[in-house]
Amino acid sequence: MASTNLIALTKSLKLMKTVLVALFLFSTLAWAEDHSVQPRAEKSRLTEKQHFEVWFTSHLDPIVINTMHAWTLHIQHRSGEPVTDAIVRIEGGMPEHDHGLPTRPRITQNLGNGEYLLEGMKFHMGGQWQVTLSIQQDKILDRVTFDLNL
Amino acid sequence: MVILIILTSAIWYTQSGKGMAWTPSEITLLRSLWIANLPSLPTNTGNPVADNPLAAKLGHRLFFDTRLSANGKISCASCHQPSHHFTDGLKVAEGLGTGARNTMSIVGMAYSPWLFWDGRKDSLWAQALSPLENPLEHGSSRMQLVHLVAQDKIYREQYENLFGPMDSFSDSSRFPVAAGPVDNKSLNESWQSMSSDDQTAVTEVFTNIGKALAAYERMLLPTAARFDHYVEALVTGNQETREILSQDERAGLKLFTGKAQCINCHNGPLFTNHEFHNTAVLSSPGSLPSKGRINAVQSVLEDPFNCLGEFTDINPGECTELRFIRTGENLVGAHKTPSLRNIEDTAPYMHAGQLATLEEVIDHYNRAPAAMVGHNEARELSLGRKEKKQLEAFLHTLTGSITADPEWLTAPETP
Repeated sequence: MASTNLIALTKSLKLMKTVLVALFLFSTLAWAEDHSVQPRAEKSRLTEKQHFEVWFTSHLDPIVINTMHAWTLHIQHRSGEPVTDAIVRIEGGMPEHDHGLPTRPRITQNLGNGEYLLEGMKFHMGGQWQVTLSIQQDKILDRVTFDLNL
Repeated sequence: MVILIILTSAIWYTQSGKGMAWTPSEITLLRSLWIANLPSLPTNTGNPVADNPLAAKLGHRLFFDTRLSANGKISCASCHQPSHHFTDGLKVAEGLGTGARNTMSIVGMAYSPWLFWDGRKDSLWAQALSPLENPLEHGSSRMQLVHLVAQDKIYREQYENLFGPMDSFSDSSRFPVAAGPVDNKSLNESWQSMSSDDQTAVTEVFTNIGKALAAYERMLLPTAARFDHYVEALVTGNQETREILSQDERAGLKLFTGKAQCINCHNGPLFTNHEFHNTAVLSSPGSLPSKGRINAVQSVLEDPFNCLGEFTDINPGECTELRFIRTGENLVGAHKTPSLRNIEDTAPYMHAGQLATLEEVIDHYNRAPAAMVGHNEARELSLGRKEKKQLEAFLHTLTGSITADPEWLTAPETP
């Protein structure tokens, strides 16, 4: 009788183990689905004070860590008219780790028609990054932050 | 009661490591560390002989030659010993004097955009020149080294096959026995007595010595370790993964990519992002804390051997690391992330060998103490005793060998 009970207990423990494994695998797969996004940027964003519409094209696609690359910025007024004489400053970092970009990227060329070449982009860790562009045109100063998940 | 049993079973199952499974995103991370994903060597080196086998041969001879020092006893291999994965097992380097920094391994260093713990050099060849003229290391001077290469029959032949005809540098009225722009009054005065053209001619040969050394060092790359065999088995399914890494090692790997956050900086197939971080490593006893990267930024910008200098033929547009170099408060006390490949062979650890064992290193990161200078980027990890052991067990799975054939790992035979 005791032995039958023991077998039953062993069987139920095995069943429990199987259920737990299934639950564990299911939960990790579900978690993975939420986080398995490709590096991407939020494109075509309005600046904070809504003066400009900005988006960028990365010359490295997808963006991967530890690789120097350039972006082309596109800046236009809300009307759609390109901003051809903007002064752009770039800052970025990982808020979670309290550090900035490993490089100091800057605009190296005004390509005309509201496009600017941004060189020196590099990310050296996987995770959540923010890149903030401060855009000045005449007396208007506005900024926009892009979030990247690498 | 049932809930209690379920909870206990769940804790046992997870802690035992048997319930370990990799999510698709974790497998992506593991693949990113796999040596099979190491890209080809960088080509924008400013070194036209970087991949020339004859240059590697010359560099190999130079690397093991003790004549490249003031006392005839120090070679590059004195500190970069092949038996210690090209380190020396000491806290700080011992050359003619005692240095301030732990000897970094050369293996895989060809991938790094910055050299030395503080990154004060921006190429393998520029780095190779520095110890030769450092009074605490080789203590030589560029003029002495150039005389050696010009007078030694084998060196001269090897050099001229690579770089073309070389001056004899035998006119003693123009070329002193020893001279260089170094921290030595006598050597420096001799250097200043030379004409600018002669200084340039000597420095050109000197830089070519560095470029030959770099060609040799580019051959020193890590081979696959047990960790890599594990990832290969995992992604190809061609072998039972449990035969490759033990349960504790797999649990350590999971911690490495997860809770312990090691992968933040030790990422990519070389387990380094080649960048600079302040992780609050204490200064070595009796020393002030190292300012690290912050002090090196100006130094590399002013270095005549940098990517934008006159001794390189690279297109300035390609010098992106130097052109977009960053400075700022974050870099106070920051030092370069070292590769973790073959880490068990390269003790002691940190920029001044402050931590003797991997156990101490893991404990340091687990506690995340406040930095003496700047701020510690790392956060406390709350790893338990078992987890620390598992993490250490995983680090031992990163041991492989070196891709170069064995004859490259010992001094060349004298013909």
